[in-house]
Amino acid sequence: MEVLTAIAIGILFAIGIFQMLRRNVIRSAIGLIILSNAINLFLLSTGDFQGIQPAYVDTPAALRSDALPQALVLTAIVISMGGIAFVLSLLYVISSRYKTSDLDEIQGLKN
Amino acid sequence: MNSNQIVLLPILIPLAGAFIILLLRSWKRWQARMAFMIMLLSLASSGWLVYQVWLNDEAVIFQLGGWIAPFGISLVADYLSVFMVLMSQLVLLLGVAYAMGAKDNNIKYPTFYPLFLTLGVGLTGALLSGDFFNLFVFAELLVISGTILTAISDDRLGAEAAYKYFYISLLASAFLLLAIGSLYISYGSLNMADLAVRIQSNPSQPLLPFAIALLTATFMVKSAVFPFHFWQPDFHTAAPTAVSAMLSSVVVKLGVYGFLRMTTLVFVNQSEELKLLLIGLGVVGVIIGGLSAIGTQNAKRMLAYSTLAQVGFILIGIGWGTPLSIAAALVFTFNHSLIKAAMLMLAGSVASRSKAKSAAFEVVTGVGKSMPYAGVLFFIGSLALAGIPPTNGFINKYLIFESGLNSDAFLVVILLALGGILTLIYTMRAFQKIWWHPLPDADRLKAYGDRLVAPSLLIIFVVALGLWAQPLIQFSQVTSAWLLDPQNYIQSVLDTIIALGW
Repeated sequence: MEVLTAIAIGILFAIGIFQMLRRNVIRSAIGLIILSNAINLFLLSTGDFQGIQPAYVDTPAALRSDALPQALVLTAIVISMGGIAFVLSLLYVISSRYKTSDLDEIQGLKN
Repeated sequence: MNSNQIVLLPILIPLAGAFIILLLRSWKRWQARMAFMIMLLSLASSGWLVYQVWLNDEAVIFQLGGWIAPFGISLVADYLSVFMVLMSQLVLLLGVAYAMGAKDNNIKYPTFYPLFLTLGVGLTGALLSGDFFNLFVFAELLVISGTILTAISDDRLGAEAAYKYFYISLLASAFLLLAIGSLYISYGSLNMADLAVRIQSNPSQPLLPFAIALLTATFMVKSAVFPFHFWQPDFHTAAPTAVSAMLSSVVVKLGVYGFLRMTTLVFVNQSEELKLLLIGLGVVGVIIGGLSAIGTQNAKRMLAYSTLAQVGFILIGIGWGTPLSIAAALVFTFNHSLIKAAMLMLAGSVASRSKAKSAAFEVVTGVGKSMPYAGVLFFIGSLALAGIPPTNGFINKYLIFESGLNSDAFLVVILLALGGILTLIYTMRAFQKIWWHPLPDADRLKAYGDRLVAPSLLIIFVVALGLWAQPLIQFSQVTSAWLLDPQNYIQSVLDTIIALGW
């Protein structure tokens, strides 16, 4: 199960980074979403997350999930949601101004 | 009220104030005045905090919610934190003062001042927080406020620059979260003092070098250190003047703070390679920043590149790691914030006099003819940036060179001297273009521009700290002595003496 989780998170990272490097702005924003989810899963797994086992109950230590990373992940999810909403709104402004979604054509700053 | 609750004030006053002045959105004038009063109150509270720390010669610690140190969230106001907080709040106050006298359209938006205050909250909170996750949360607040303030800029490239920066900075947050996860899985704690103890007792965890590398990358993005600097000139040029004066002076110092904490507290025993890296990148930054500043055709962009060079000087001071060089880096941090904020405000007020509203040299050439007073201020600021007496820039350059000679780093010192000459070249070129060249055509000029109150006050500080530098140097030396014994910080946060062979 641990190996499976690790591999899944790794694949999510790979997809996220690959999509982020695409020229299409929408694809790169989706890559950012996938990447932030991969990081949230990584954070969750640092707390010895046991799936259905809740945190801090009278279970043996080996079966118990750590509560702190879950709190961290909640905060990180909220922050990344706000961030991604802002990125999407910026993308809307930029793509309607330049009439394109290709990053190579958005080059007002280059001159 | 417990006396250690005053740590909360520099965070809570602007945070509460941001929401209060959002309610005043229909009364623009009062909103600006309230923002100024709130920042003044906040600056007073951080001044009181500095006084408390200095008077009792110990850190003021507040454990949020009454949870003791490694379990709860600690707010730590030690010498370094209060030093940086006082500097940030002073510059932020003058930033509000500049915004009150500025003619930009975005200043009239109801959310401008609230976002400006949350920018201050993010910065202050990140400097005062005692654990990495809290630092992440406040740094995100800082980034989001700064980005929105840039996206609403009058410059039509603002949105594009904001997108570029926000993308990079979301990646930096990703690095920081990965570092937090790696540290937590290895050591089971995120409190900096507790981490320092645990890393000291068990430095062979496999994820530790990974976490150090990720944290280094994060703080490099925050400080715009050389290989991660490419977003910075665009972002700082496109931002409204009042905001770019903050971004390029105090906001980039968050990374400097992070590096100081990394090399003197959390990763003391692993910091040798990091220090070498800081020296190397600092030298590259000084040279590349200076050359790029000479090559650019826009006054604000030139000053943004100059920040890259000046942060390089600070990183070299941290990299040498001797008591004198860390004190020099701290003095440099303080003085550079004042100088750079003043210079950017002056460049912005010159740009505000031209109808094109740009600081590009082709637009502002000769604009200075009608504003000789700004010319005097800009000239003094240029001297300070290049490190010529009687300004505070001389003091910090002198301290950096002296600590370099004491560390026998002659090659680095020669390269730094070269960087200093580059500074003189680009600032004098800008001065010449704006104030000496004749105005090509008088239609370009507007009758009024931004007010010069805030940059005047900053330049007064610049000269005053050049003539009477002793208190600042003394405070920096005490701070650097405090920093170089990590036990100070650990004992005051954890409240118990942990004997683990320090």
